[in-house]
Amino acid sequence: MRQFQVLAAGLLLGAAGAAPVAAHHGWAWATAEEFELSGTVKSVRHGNPHGVMQLSTPSGEWTVEIGQPWRNAQAGLTEQMLRPGTRLLIHGHRSARANERLMKAERIVIAGKSYDLYPDRPS
Amino acid sequence: MSLAPSIDTFLATIEAAAPIAALRDSWIAYPLVNAAHIVGIALLFGAIVPLDLRLIGWRRETESVDRLSRMLLPVAIGGLLIAIPAGLLLFATDARAYAAAPLFQAKMVLIALAVGNALALRRIDWRTTPARGRTAFAGMASMCLWLSVIVCGRLLGYIE
Repeated sequence: MRQFQVLAAGLLLGAAGAAPVAAHHGWAWATAEEFELSGTVKSVRHGNPHGVMQLSTPSGEWTVEIGQPWRNAQAGLTEQMLRPGTRLLIHGHRSARANERLMKAERIVIAGKSYDLYPDRPS
Repeated sequence: MSLAPSIDTFLATIEAAAPIAALRDSWIAYPLVNAAHIVGIALLFGAIVPLDLRLIGWRRETESVDRLSRMLLPVAIGGLLIAIPAGLLLFATDARAYAAAPLFQAKMVLIALAVGNALALRRIDWRTTPARGRTAFAGMASMCLWLSVIVCGRLLGYIE
């Protein structure tokens, strides 16, 4: 049984060690309150299960979750439009963990034009 | 955990390969590969748990380990042979992030241990060896290891 204790400890350590690939489905992990954030794209990763941007803002670096490729395309967003250096205004919801600089985008505004990822949701 | 530069470059090349990029961006292929990974795991785990329970001694009067394994092992191995390629494809779409994730590394170690345990059990001739003691422990280890593999895989998607 000793092996299992070691294994369990290893698993817990592994879990605490942080993985950069976490996907947030739905909205339950975010606050219900509308939130907006403006900043400059620092880096971006497109693709399934959903895209993730790092945004440089006056309040520090934020992680912004955007849609999976079909949702971004449906909103009229291309990878070209979200290149590093682009200024964005993001509407959406921030993580319910108050100290976490993480939000999920509902609508992205680039140069005054809105791109709605979730047309069915108020944003 | 950061990766060695040569490994990082190699994984970046995999991520950039055209079929992998297509999978990463596809609305249908990615969830289908995901489904294949789950089907593989379901077959593997679903077949291995009854076998492990029998090794531990549960329902020992109903069927011999030898006969039961002839039925269930091919299903478990088939499941593994579906889960591995599907898993490799999912890995390839975000290879550097997965490779650097402690949970992913833990999952790979656990798979190696579970497969090693299964291979060790394969060497036993069940027609002449009764299933008790050490084999019961191996059956318990098998269930714990595969369960840990599944939990690691799921946590990977939700913990950051």
